[in-house]
Amino acid sequence: MGKLHRKTLETGVEGLGDSYFTESLALSTPPDDPDPLDSNLLLRELQWLLQDATGDVGRSQNPDLVPLRADLGDLYGLWRERVLERRPFQYVVGCEHWRDLVLWVGEGVLIPRPETEVVVDLVREVVIGRSGRGDGEEVWADLGTGSGAIAVGMGGVVGERGRVVATDLSEVAVKVARFNVERYALKDKVQIRQGSWFEPLEDVKGKLTGLVSNPPYIPSRNLPGLQAEVGRYEPKLALDGGESGMDHLIHLCEGSVSYLKPGGFFAFETNGDEQSEFLVDFMVSKLENSFRDVKAVADFAGIKRFVTGFRS
Amino acid sequence: MARVISLQCFSLARLLQSRPSVRPTLLFHHPRFRPISASSVSSSISDEDYVSLTEEELMKQCEMDTFKASGPGGQHRNKRESAVRLRHVPTGIVSQAVEDRSQHKNRASALARLRTLLDLKVRKTIDLNEYEPPPELLQILPKKSTIRGADSGPQIGPNNSKFASGMQALLDLIFAVNGSVADAAKNLGLSTGALSRLILSDDSLRMEVNELRSSKGMRPLK
Repeated sequence: MGKLHRKTLETGVEGLGDSYFTESLALSTPPDDPDPLDSNLLLRELQWLLQDATGDVGRSQNPDLVPLRADLGDLYGLWRERVLERRPFQYVVGCEHWRDLVLWVGEGVLIPRPETEVVVDLVREVVIGRSGRGDGEEVWADLGTGSGAIAVGMGGVVGERGRVVATDLSEVAVKVARFNVERYALKDKVQIRQGSWFEPLEDVKGKLTGLVSNPPYIPSRNLPGLQAEVGRYEPKLALDGGESGMDHLIHLCEGSVSYLKPGGFFAFETNGDEQSEFLVDFMVSKLENSFRDVKAVADFAGIKRFVTGFRS
Repeated sequence: MARVISLQCFSLARLLQSRPSVRPTLLFHHPRFRPISASSVSSSISDEDYVSLTEEELMKQCEMDTFKASGPGGQHRNKRESAVRLRHVPTGIVSQAVEDRSQHKNRASALARLRTLLDLKVRKTIDLNEYEPPPELLQILPKKSTIRGADSGPQIGPNNSKFASGMQALLDLIFAVNGSVADAAKNLGLSTGALSRLILSDDSLRMEVNELRSSKGMRPLK
């Protein structure tokens, strides 16, 4: 990395920056876009882009020097992709701020949603409630971990005795999740395994203290109408829940019967109200006597987003 | 991941203009937030001691809104709206945070702000006949106060996190004497001028006192 004095760049670059970013903001509301970008949000994203693109000003010996991680032309190219191509901001900067974490994300893994932050809180409550009970190792699983967000978040809350095993079918997801686990120095606490749902978990079958998942739950017919950022860029594998949207959720509920130990906890994210109500009913009536305290839990927008309960 | 790792520099002044503010700011005047804002909530009297509540207890008393709650949410949306608004149900006080990139952190900021607002807005009733300033109030008084003992330690200023609870107790007193700085000063063993200077040393304290004074038809402190 080299440094240039601002005087050497002064005239050219300042002018360039001005016109570039003004132009791209002006582009942010194309009149014919059915799902227009919100200019307030775009402005905030632009600030975040600059935040990520600039180094630590405070450490520079010369206060006139601002280190940049990418040259201005490249930054402008990235911003154009964001505005014109609707590439998700998180893929543009390669990260998402989620809970107190900054996670690496990129094409091929689902960008973790703010709603999903709650799953870690649900786990934390159970861990606190269990403290003092037993003294053996406690294994928690996150199925379809994607970027590893939930797994890394859980790694921080499962306590001394807890460890996390997370699975994902996608090779890219496994790579990204492993990177995020290592970034937070949780290699001994959180293990990422490649495979479909329960397949890589034979060794912990019937032994899980807890099982969580944010599986694909969007009904297939709704995929074409998704917001451009989601529909064009995020992996179908992480979104498509089959005809009713519940193919994977039902598989997970059924699997929980044999993979959770007695008293084991589960939490699944769903498409919202209707799916959650259906699942509560399914687990109580169809998988009778297997679960207790099954309930739908609302997200911060008041949508019944999660289904939680315990293995009998 | 940043694709090109090279280092260049350009005008710091130019850049600073476009950088997000380092200090968190309250966007009460953002149009979307205008209908309910803490500044429109008038002070309420309560015997409830909200200050001693834990984070979780306080959170349980709140309704949390995330913006753009309409639509299916979850996997359907690329969510960049991480803003959080908390409404404290018992008092109606609203606090919000939008400046962070994660909802989790915005929730923590909003909760911290709610605490400050509760300190500022929720008054305890005081019996002036038997009034004795609590220790947290003594700590923020200047040394020349005649009722301040040597055991109160050095004077705590607005930048200290303990200032908020002292400020709350001071506001309780000023409300009890209907905004009269002279009467409050007498109770604290201070001259009117010395108490005025203390009130003016913190913006939020000054604004609260002046809001009360203007509601009583008194001149604001300047």
